[in-house]
Amino acid sequence: MILDARDFPDGHSLTSDICVVGAGAAGISLALELANTQFSVLVLESGGLKPEQETQNLYAGTVVDERLHSLPDRYRQRRFGGTTTIWGGRCMPFDAIDFEARDYVQHSGWPINLDALTSFYPKANQLCEAGQFAYTSTSAFNKPLRPMIKGFRSLNFSTDTLERFSCPTDFGARYGNRLETAQNVRILLHANATSLDLDKDGHQLNSVAVTTLPGRRLNVRAHQFVLANGGLEVARLMLASRGVHANGIGNHHDVLGRYYMCHIAGTVGALTIYGPLDSVWNGYDISDEGVYCRRRIALNSTTQREYHLANFVARLHHPRITDPAHKNSILSSLYLAKFLIPYEYGKRLHGDERADLKTWLKHIRNLSMGPFDAAKFAWHMLRDRRLADRKFPSIIIKSKANLYSVDFHAEQEPNPHSRVTLDHSVDALGMPRLKIDWRYSKTDVHTVSKSLELLATDIAQSGTGKLAYDPANLEYEMTRYGAYGGHHIGTARMGTNPTSSVVDSNCRVHGIENLHIASAAVFPTSSQANPTLTIIALTLRLAQRLKNMLLNT
Amino acid sequence: MKQNILVVGSDNVVGSRIVNTLQTSDWATAVPLQQASDLSTYKLEDVTGIVNCTMGGPAAILASAQRLFETVKNDDDRTRIVHLSSMTVYGSVNRKVDENAHLLADLGPYGAAHIRAEEIVNGHLNTVTLRPGCEYGPGCPQWSVKLARLLQAHRLGDLGIKGDGLCNLIYIDDLVNAVLTALRLPDLGGERFNLSIPSPPTWNEYLISFGIALGAVPVRRITVRQLKLETRLYALPLKLAEIVTRQLKIGATHPPPAITPSFLMLCGQRIQLDSSKAERLLSLQWTSLAEGLKNSAAAIFENSLVDSKHL
Ligand SMILES: Cc1cc2nc3c(=O)[nH]c(=O)nc-3n(C[C@H](O)[C@H](O)[C@H](O)COP(=O)(O)OP(=O)(O)OC[C@H]3O[C@@H](n4cnc5c(N)ncnc54)[C@H](O)[C@@H]3O)c2cc1C
Repeated sequence: MILDARDFPDGHSLTSDICVVGAGAAGISLALELANTQFSVLVLESGGLKPEQETQNLYAGTVVDERLHSLPDRYRQRRFGGTTTIWGGRCMPFDAIDFEARDYVQHSGWPINLDALTSFYPKANQLCEAGQFAYTSTSAFNKPLRPMIKGFRSLNFSTDTLERFSCPTDFGARYGNRLETAQNVRILLHANATSLDLDKDGHQLNSVAVTTLPGRRLNVRAHQFVLANGGLEVARLMLASRGVHANGIGNHHDVLGRYYMCHIAGTVGALTIYGPLDSVWNGYDISDEGVYCRRRIALNSTTQREYHLANFVARLHHPRITDPAHKNSILSSLYLAKFLIPYEYGKRLHGDERADLKTWLKHIRNLSMGPFDAAKFAWHMLRDRRLADRKFPSIIIKSKANLYSVDFHAEQEPNPHSRVTLDHSVDALGMPRLKIDWRYSKTDVHTVSKSLELLATDIAQSGTGKLAYDPANLEYEMTRYGAYGGHHIGTARMGTNPTSSVVDSNCRVHGIENLHIASAAVFPTSSQANPTLTIIALTLRLAQRLKNMLLNT
Repeated sequence: MKQNILVVGSDNVVGSRIVNTLQTSDWATAVPLQQASDLSTYKLEDVTGIVNCTMGGPAAILASAQRLFETVKNDDDRTRIVHLSSMTVYGSVNRKVDENAHLLADLGPYGAAHIRAEEIVNGHLNTVTLRPGCEYGPGCPQWSVKLARLLQAHRLGDLGIKGDGLCNLIYIDDLVNAVLTALRLPDLGGERFNLSIPSPPTWNEYLISFGIALGAVPVRRITVRQLKLETRLYALPLKLAEIVTRQLKIGATHPPPAITPSFLMLCGQRIQLDSSKAERLLSLQWTSLAEGLKNSAAAIFENSLVDSKHL
């Protein structure tokens, strides 16, 4: 059943067995998993079915350095379906090493290992509509794929692992109907959780205060509560709930909001692959189920340990669009059409840089040199992306000169000084706004520079090509566009010790019996992997625990 | 002595499979009857059971039920009738249903005819009613052969939100086993049984797995736009063409199958048949989906599906 909080009278009280705050990837997956069980489920969602500016404004806040992190109302969507309404759909599981405590990655180590998630990943994959849970080319395809770089052999990197792409599935649009027909689930739209109200001992959550934008207040009581309102907002809501604990809920030891991570990402270098055009394949392979899959160059765990590196992957990429020196009509057409590309995707394509007239003219000249290629590309994007329900995931340009760049995506070291706090200003509902102070560390720079160095050496040694880049410029390149947008990790980290973590290994907030978190906020480390698949796998694991807990009470 | 079992609807796939299985059994002899009107040619005293697996439109279903009831109404409930009904009797509900669920005639005349047919036939107290989901398996026209054609033409595939319903499959051999058990077990008169594999896949899962088994890969994601075109624009002429070719008995040519609005509605319906009663009382064991799909695809390859004459 889908209801609207604005239809209830002021002061109204609702009850259920389980109350979930947020209907994004995590909240919807949780509700789906609990659908058609004997437990009543109430999902509080701030937004409506469509985007609404007034609601989106509730995400507004400040950042300490706008060059390093975009404003908090960017890269998040406050509406039914959450940020999956705009996500890119790249899916991959975490690697076993990501869960380990590594002495060369400060504050690393999960209290669970990969095995704890193995049985939940396939279902998570299904929910993302990313096909079977098979993440190597040998397990996903029954015939050998053309090599990514013919003849490339490396002891440090594997080219066998894959990323698989979701449609990208908008969880609200895709599963709203399933939830609506579930007998035991109620979705309450326009319901903003504004405060978590504990009992007087502070060990039990009694209720969640809900406020609608017109200012009406409701109250929700439940046996179990789950915060699934996104990696930044989880911390905000807990920090702002100061009724019993002055520092907010789950923050006895000043851990909440700290260790904030995204990913370190960038595009660097000129990678020339020797030999004929078919000695390189930088595109997608389509699995039998119709899912786009793409191989990456992934740093082995042995090498990570040997050189004290965090996790790292790279992909073959087109040269930087902004620089017309690429002489590519397709890339130039993308540059010229930059106004049509949404902010979240445009930023890494063409940055915020202002181009002078000369640069524009050069792009126009590039376009005029290959109008047919540009037209063909436009048609491909229209047919296979715009009009398709399973969208072609990204821009793939086959270089006629075997010339590429390297697009990397690396784990970020947890850092207690990288954090989110509450600002002095408040939003339209009176909630303190977020202030983001994202930072990176020397380990992050070391990971990227050493990994690229190893890659350049391995490419040269295998005689397959040459990777040229300026090591002195690397730190600038890896932070050129700031923290990788949309991955909000670590603000309520998981651990066994309440003095250094916020939730336990079951995602339950330390010291509070009935409050859980389903979000990347609980990840103690970020992996090289995009977070959503693992958010969902952890959420499904939590759903199982909640079912068991309720059955036993 | 072997028992005589009349099988009404023996020319359809289910009927003919029942006939063949009975013929090879050591306890029964099957008497195939194409339609219920043929019942009058048999003396009921020699018959211990009748299976009614009439398929077709609402009129045929009702006529058959009526005829069957007329035939047995004076035999003091001696003859065991096994009546094949359909899951459509539950209407458009979106939940798990057992045999006691309320029947709902909101899916059009076909579902309504099945509800009425059940009522008529159950006027005879020794009737066992089976409510199968979607029969699939070698030769099953609706849920195997036709879908295979559509998958191979890439007109069906992953339907996204439109294929999120539950696909209550029943493998043809399991259905035949259920019929045979229902014929023989005493004290089942008046019982109704849902028949579908437990934990049914979604329609998307079924279509994708079947597409892969058929080698119709990569399975395509069908856009909502394309499905609208299929159901609003193409379905009617294709259905008419199908009827005309059937009437004219143009054996070799088959128009492409239609994707009808009712099929699409079914693909989105989250109904789940609870078949635990059949498991318990009829001791049914279910063929796994993987096995069922493998056999269905093998049969399609063998019969070079595209110009199969079953359609
Ligand atoms: C442009 C972009 C591309 C991305 N691409 C990828 C990708 O390729 N792969 C990947 O893995 N990830 C990607 N992501 C990240 C992905 O979108 C997130 O990881 C995922 O959506 C997080 O799910 P969530 O449920 O934790 O949060 P969200 O999806 O953000 O959902 C949170 C929900 O909580 C609601 N909410 C917030 N506050 C309140 C409140 N106080 N009361 C009630 N409800 C509230 C919100 O309205 C929202 O519906 C991308 C993100 C962006 C922005």
